[in-house]
Amino acid sequence: MKITETNKKRMIKIFVFFFAISSFSALLIYAFSKNMVYFYTPTQIIKQEAPINSFIRIGGMVKVNSFKKSKDSLKVSFKIYDLNEEINVRYDGILPDLFAEGQGVVMTGKLINSNTFLANEVLAKHDENYMPPEVADMMKEKEGALNNK
Amino acid sequence: MITEFGNLFLSIAASLSLCLSGLLFFKKYIDDGTRYEISLKLTNFNFLFLLLSFVILAYGFLTNDFSLKYVANNSNLNLDTIYKFSAVWGAHEGSILLWVLVLSSWAVLIGKSSKSLPKGFVVDMLGIMGILSMFFIIFILFTSNPFDRIFPVPPNGRDLNPLLQDPGLIIHPPLLYLGYVGTSVPFVFAVAVLINSSIQIEWISWLRKWVIASWMFLTVGISLGSWWAYHELGWGGWWFWDPVENASFMPWLAITALLHSLIVSEKRGIFISWTILLSILTFSLSLLGTFLVRSGILVSVHAFANDPERGLYILIFLSLVVGISLLLYFQRSSQLVSKKSYEISSKEFILLINNLFLTITTFAILLGTLYPLITSSLNLGKISVGAPYFNFIFSALMLPIVFLMAPAIYSSWQKTDYSKLKKNLLSLCFYSILISYIFLNFLYDSNIFVVYLAMFLAFFTILSSLVKIIQIIRIQNERGFLALIRKTPSTIFANSFSHIGIGVLIVGITISTYYSTQKEIIMKEGSEITLQDITVKFVGIEKKISKNYSSQVGVFDAFKDDDYLISFFPEKRIYNIQKNVMTEAAISSNLARDIYIAMGDQFTSDSWVVRIYYKPFIQLIWYGAVLMILGGIFGIFGREKLSKNT
Repeated sequence: MKITETNKKRMIKIFVFFFAISSFSALLIYAFSKNMVYFYTPTQIIKQEAPINSFIRIGGMVKVNSFKKSKDSLKVSFKIYDLNEEINVRYDGILPDLFAEGQGVVMTGKLINSNTFLANEVLAKHDENYMPPEVADMMKEKEGALNNK
Repeated sequence: MITEFGNLFLSIAASLSLCLSGLLFFKKYIDDGTRYEISLKLTNFNFLFLLLSFVILAYGFLTNDFSLKYVANNSNLNLDTIYKFSAVWGAHEGSILLWVLVLSSWAVLIGKSSKSLPKGFVVDMLGIMGILSMFFIIFILFTSNPFDRIFPVPPNGRDLNPLLQDPGLIIHPPLLYLGYVGTSVPFVFAVAVLINSSIQIEWISWLRKWVIASWMFLTVGISLGSWWAYHELGWGGWWFWDPVENASFMPWLAITALLHSLIVSEKRGIFISWTILLSILTFSLSLLGTFLVRSGILVSVHAFANDPERGLYILIFLSLVVGISLLLYFQRSSQLVSKKSYEISSKEFILLINNLFLTITTFAILLGTLYPLITSSLNLGKISVGAPYFNFIFSALMLPIVFLMAPAIYSSWQKTDYSKLKKNLLSLCFYSILISYIFLNFLYDSNIFVVYLAMFLAFFTILSSLVKIIQIIRIQNERGFLALIRKTPSTIFANSFSHIGIGVLIVGITISTYYSTQKEIIMKEGSEITLQDITVKFVGIEKKISKNYSSQVGVFDAFKDDDYLISFFPEKRIYNIQKNVMTEAAISSNLARDIYIAMGDQFTSDSWVVRIYYKPFIQLIWYGAVLMILGGIFGIFGREKLSKNT
């Protein structure tokens, strides 16, 4: 079969596209699988559904009177709760302005054992009406559960 | 009660929009000239009535009319007048009103500048604008009416979200909206072309300026938003890959692609079908952005409203717009295909690759933004896709785009002379490597490969554009600087400035990402800390009472080599009404570095948690944006024709 000049050009063009799209897909899948972070509730963590030592997001309400801070460093610890479980959180850094006991909070970090979470980023709500959707959903479920009892 | 007229004017505007879109269907019965005259009038009146209702809402804010629920929720007696005005678009209802107002003003501008286009075609464009405007006004009237009353009337309002009480945020939304909604112009153009199944090169030239304008406003809006985040959020970050940021960034990428494919369509009469498709996609991404921001399904700074009904309405509208226009596209676009050959070395092909990668990048960001929403709404678990994903994939995909900028500038249409291209580029390549090597070794003594690569690409782009400008100016046989500038085709400036802007932006991003230093520490009054060559001393705390907040102001003095440099006054504010605590960072900027101080919590009676950043060259990010905007201005207002084919 004779390869004409136009066909050759067309083949090169198709090859370039094919190459671009396939390398992109590989890149995408790689980046995606590396950076997907799952969200867990305290209940799921206590039930041991969450992996230990890998990067996850958790959320809940900060338990009143559970907040403790160190005397000479930025280390803090507090408890968060949801439906019926609570877990301990440790964090070393500056908390957001809107962080407070009794308020919703979402964090990223990892579990260091079955009920202690080491946070490396803490997000609090943005204004008094705003609640992270994950926490809002959780609280709705809680109300639903209470009503069913 | 003048505010009663708000609803009335909105309803009038809705019916005017309805008439405007009705004109689409009277092609057979009324001649184009008459339809053209009528639709121009309708468009102008539509704008006028929307403007009036907007003014009435603003009047409600300025006169503290708390009988309006929207005003009561977003304003306060003690709010500064300027923020009372910007509060008009500070929350959902008002911002959607601004959205349609901007839409109708684009429609007016289309009408005003349409003399070179066939009248029937303009009627079609304005008619489609009418449909869009009608949908949004109905959306306002039924789901998010800013003129809703509240009873009993509260004595005072609940105040504007303190995060929004910032000069940057007065103009950020209107400018961003100008860009966002500006994408409707290529959209109505595309749909009108599909309806008529015909297109002329002169129409494409007409469209180009509108696309540049919309691109420029999006650039302004996005860069202002990042500037605001950097100053106001107190984390020293300027881009978070927050879904709402992505929502404005995706249309930007798409319209950047459109801008380039449009040039090919205009110059060579090819890629027309692709240009039309991109126009539709760009506007769809704008609508998607509106949906994402306004449906409240996002975890975001911008997610104020949380109303599924609103989200549903926009989602239905979005699917209708995308569905119908794509259907039309697949039915009609085959008639727009033109066959002309081009070599792999041609400018066309490079721009095609540019479009390919920009589209892929848009898709990658779309995937990262929507995937968590899809899994969560299908109950497949709550997932978030973090910034590392976006950073990685975005920079990987930007590499080829940025690398091709220089060859694109020096290549020719149809076929490029390789030896000439090589001659032009090899020396540029050499100098870029040299400059980035000297720059990095002299300043940072660093050997991170990625940084070298990014700096090389940035300088390659900057140098190639600069040299191109000089070459073009030399060709002109003019004496005197101003005469030269006037004689030089403005497209060269548009193109070069934007590309230099990208280069400058890359330098800013790369250096500030890799060579920033930061400290989070507890500082006692009188204690000192050293960052790079700067020593910062915590002098003490002063109290400040303002009209609607009280604050604790930290006083910090910075020294360089024991010489006093500057003082910093970061604040910790408590707003009276909503009791919100806000961190106001204090920043000292110059070209080479920013020093950024933000206060955390009070630690003991005389010590505070303090966050200090030293960020080299971070201002280049916004200088780059300014250059891009300048390029946009040249593109819009500059002289049309190239005096010599380049």
